[in-house]
Amino acid sequence: MAGIPFGHVLALSGILVALGVACATARRNLIMILLGVEIMLNGAAIAFAAAALRWQQLEGQAFVLFIIAIAAAEVSVGLALIVHLYHRTGSLDPEKFNTLK
Amino acid sequence: MTYFAAADLTLTAALAATALPLAAFAVILLLTRGFPRVSAALSISAITVALVCAGALLVRHWHLAAPLEYSTLWMAGGDIVVRVGFLIDPLSLLMLMIVALICFLVQVYSLGYMAGDPGFARYYAFMSLFAWAMMNLTLAQTLLQLYIFWELVGLSSYLLIGFWYEKFSASQAGKKAFVMTRLGDVAFFIGILIVLVNFGNLSIAELNSARAGFLPPAVITVAALLIFGGIIGKSAQFPLLTWLPDAMEGPTPVSALLHSATMVAAGVYLLARLFPFFSLSPAALQVCLTVGAVSMLLSATMAMVSRDIKQVWAYSTISQLGLMIMGLAAGDYVAGVFHLTTHAGFKALLFLCAGVFIHTCGGNDMFEIGRRGGRHLKIPMICMIVAAAALSGIPPFSGFFSKELILAALAGRPNSIWLAAGLLGAFLTTYYTFRLIFIILFPRGEAQAHADGHHSAAGYRVMAAPLIVLAAVTLVLGFGEHAFGRFLRQGFPGPVPVPGHHTWLPFAALGLAAAAVGLAWFEFGRRGAAQVGFVERVAPLRELFSRRWYIDDVYRWLLDNVLYRVFSALCAKNDQKVIDGAVDGLGGAMASAGRILAVLHTGSIQFRLLVVSVVVVLLGLYYFV
Repeated sequence: MAGIPFGHVLALSGILVALGVACATARRNLIMILLGVEIMLNGAAIAFAAAALRWQQLEGQAFVLFIIAIAAAEVSVGLALIVHLYHRTGSLDPEKFNTLK
Repeated sequence: MTYFAAADLTLTAALAATALPLAAFAVILLLTRGFPRVSAALSISAITVALVCAGALLVRHWHLAAPLEYSTLWMAGGDIVVRVGFLIDPLSLLMLMIVALICFLVQVYSLGYMAGDPGFARYYAFMSLFAWAMMNLTLAQTLLQLYIFWELVGLSSYLLIGFWYEKFSASQAGKKAFVMTRLGDVAFFIGILIVLVNFGNLSIAELNSARAGFLPPAVITVAALLIFGGIIGKSAQFPLLTWLPDAMEGPTPVSALLHSATMVAAGVYLLARLFPFFSLSPAALQVCLTVGAVSMLLSATMAMVSRDIKQVWAYSTISQLGLMIMGLAAGDYVAGVFHLTTHAGFKALLFLCAGVFIHTCGGNDMFEIGRRGGRHLKIPMICMIVAAAALSGIPPFSGFFSKELILAALAGRPNSIWLAAGLLGAFLTTYYTFRLIFIILFPRGEAQAHADGHHSAAGYRVMAAPLIVLAAVTLVLGFGEHAFGRFLRQGFPGPVPVPGHHTWLPFAALGLAAAAVGLAWFEFGRRGAAQVGFVERVAPLRELFSRRWYIDDVYRWLLDNVLYRVFSALCAKNDQKVIDGAVDGLGGAMASAGRILAVLHTGSIQFRLLVVSVVVVLLGLYYFV
């Protein structure tokens, strides 16, 4: 297989996941947290696609499709929740939502 | 050894006698508490069956060649085997009969005495509990079994003394009786353990057999003395004698049954039960003799100054129990047990008569009873005089014969001080007995209204019937002395004392009794007597006797200065410093650990996510790198 080595793709996906974690934990904005989660999912999806190519197995690609579908669903639900929260409290700061603490 | 066989008539009777009162107790407490008449009927029918069984056993085994034993294995571990069962020999049959008869009479009497009491059903439940425990005590085959029922009669005594628990003094008296007897019982239990460890067996029959003679003498003496500790507690002997007068706070029939005729006599019964064992240790017998003599004289002096009719009989009970112990310790088994028997009859009678007076005249004070016309109650007055004559040892009443036997046994001792003590005790007994009789019979001061309103004629008749039965028993029992002695001696393994021939002794005793009656007549009976006894004229003596020789004050002092100031203080310190400190320290450590851990719990969702990620990364590193 002439092209990008598998290790490089894995490194890319690892970096993406790490960036997603950093985004989801460091940012004080619910939308950015959701974005971070999306990036982590995409990082994982890249690893699956590369693995499907590496071992010539289609299950990896099927998994990617599932991940994209779930991510879309998750984003729609998440955004709906965020909009609702913003309407209720006028804030997107996750630290404010601590009534259960 | 015979084992359980259902067809055995003796066993069936013994089982019925010892189980039915328990059934009555359970049924009354569980089902019929709200129905006083049903409860009383249950209790009395149970005791009636028990009485019939006891009588049947006594008749069936009147000629008992050897003691019968029925037992079954209860515990076995290593060398130690504990059995439970019945030991049926003349002594236990006799005691069973006494207990059943007096329980029955007192329960019938209580129908009148306790009528209308709000706790009527509870009263009969406790009476049944007592009857059950006491009859099992008498038939117990091993010391451990005896000890269990010994504690159970102590419990029923506590419950019945404190029967009117809303009265503060009654609940206090119950507690005092319980704690003081417990003091002796601790010694008793240690004694049982010593016997068990050294003898490997708690069977009363084996303990009384020749096999016990192979124990080292020191072990026998220590065990006997410790067991005697239990007897001191139960029979209210010196120095644990002050609980019994206080126990008079209970209803009078209870005093008659528990605190004169049967329960306190259990101590003497135990001494008689283990008489061959005690005989192995002359030192222990000497201690018994001394304690008996001291208790007899001390309590007789206390009775000389008391104004409370029940207290006088209580002191006299202690005194007579002391005399029985002296008789046994002097080596005459039959004398001690015979006095126990006659005493059970006439002392129960004295208490029951006192109960009628108290019930009718509404007070315990004998002067008050006299002024309120106690002497007009013909049946109790005559019965009380009969019983008092028996207590004083005046023929032909039963007490004369049994006292004579004991005095003869004491006269057989080489040291004549015991006989002197016995005669002095007899003199004092007659004196205080007739002091009471004359005070009630010849009241001084204006007669007060006959407080006759609160008892019905039916109640009076119910109470009078047991009095007449007991008076008849008191009258005839003494003449059965020889048959009694023959019955008791069969199958008896202990030493048989050589009867001493002291022809002068009955005359000396009678002369002393006559002198005492004369003195009492001179001071209390004759026209114009001041009704102040010779002891009461001497203020320090009166004070000494009425404060019970300051025994209670000594206990108070010991409690305050030793128990509370030393042991309680140490325990409190231990409690506060060591136990509280440990618990508080544990709590404090937990709290600070929690505070440290709380730092991690910021409540931030992102922080948790970070932690999860870090942990996953670290786990990944740990497993894959």
